[in-house]
Amino acid sequence: MNQGLHIPEELLDRIDHILAHLAEKAHTDSIVLADISGQVISIQGVMDEGTPAVVAALAAGDVAAMSELSNRIGESDPHGSFFHEGETKSIYLHNIAGSFILIVIFRSETPIGLVRLFAKRAVEQLLPVTEEFEEIVGPPADYAPDDFRKGITQELDDTFTE
Amino acid sequence: MFINWKLREINLKIVYYGPSLSGKTSSLQYIHQRTRPDRRGELISLKTREDRTLYFDYMQFEMGEISGLKPRFNIYTVPGQVYYRGTRKLVLKGVDGIVFVADSQIRRLNENIAAINDLFEDLEELGFKPDEVPLILQCNKRDLPEIMPVLALKESLGLNGVPTFESVAVDGAGVLDGLKNIISQVVTKARGKIYSSPA
Ligand SMILES: Nc1nc2c(ncn2[C@@H]2O[C@H](COP(=O)(O)OP(=O)(O)OP(=O)(O)O)[C@@H](O)[C@H]2O)c(=O)[nH]1
Ligand SMILES: [Mg+2]
Repeated sequence: MNQGLHIPEELLDRIDHILAHLAEKAHTDSIVLADISGQVISIQGVMDEGTPAVVAALAAGDVAAMSELSNRIGESDPHGSFFHEGETKSIYLHNIAGSFILIVIFRSETPIGLVRLFAKRAVEQLLPVTEEFEEIVGPPADYAPDDFRKGITQELDDTFTE
Repeated sequence: MFINWKLREINLKIVYYGPSLSGKTSSLQYIHQRTRPDRRGELISLKTREDRTLYFDYMQFEMGEISGLKPRFNIYTVPGQVYYRGTRKLVLKGVDGIVFVADSQIRRLNENIAAINDLFEDLEELGFKPDEVPLILQCNKRDLPEIMPVLALKESLGLNGVPTFESVAVDGAGVLDGLKNIISQVVTKARGKIYSSPA
């Protein structure tokens, strides 16, 4: 499994492009692409500060639980999807190859069929992109490791109040 | 670990693991309370009506930019109750560092041992090599009578070489020391990883 991930800027641009297309076609509210461990990779649309992180963490839990549930009844689709219909807003979750999760939030009057259709297309386009993500192997040119380590100690003291 | 070069963020995941009622949620609540409000997200708890963790607790906090990268820490607790074994493993996916919260009470020794065995088994099943994930031991509930000496507890758990902290999670003593230690281990390791070149 992935113990570390490095996503180059060029791939993130391609992801943003795919998500923007989905947002436009399916009239979504917001979209989050996360990895299976619950970390945010990309966001489309407006969300309050801090919300995408929480959405990603909860969706990862949901998808993990749902895949386990499916396994119990003999299903093992690494591309499973499911959705929650709410009063005003609904959520559609799509597992991408057991490694990533597409989270689509849309107004409940938008037909689910439309969202499902364009989300499926987006997933097909995202799949080859995510396969290009690299395991972390080399540093960026301007990364200074010793500063980073020293900086963390300093920042830790600033992060917690007395 | 996940590095996003576009947003210049480094995302790290730390999990509080341990037997039921050992004080994992209490530790996270204390961390949340002590984190500067402008640097922390909400504390999310998926729990039963009796306040037992059902799936996980979660919070994120971030730091200022360091050498052009903004570190973000995602902290989770697992549910300790025996029948939530399956969800415990799910929460460990993609983990960068683990705080094992043991209940120091003598009568809880067996539960501590069962939990540490589960942890190593879960990590193996998730594809981690032994000792690959930084780990610390947090011996909690040091305020109670009838507790094991730290060295004895550590030995019983087979965690002799592991950095160990005594804590009282309900009032916070020792909790941040443990967190800071695991973070610095995780960052050191992350640095090693970023710098190890393929050839
Ligand atoms: N005396 C004492 N009580 C503690 C301490 N830490 C936690 N507790 C109490 O122990 C009980 C369980 O604490 P939690 O933090 O909910 O335990 P947990 O590990 O999250 O439990 P699960 O979610 O079931 O796995 C609560 O009643 C806490 O108040 C401690 O250091 N000393
Ligand atoms: Mg708990």
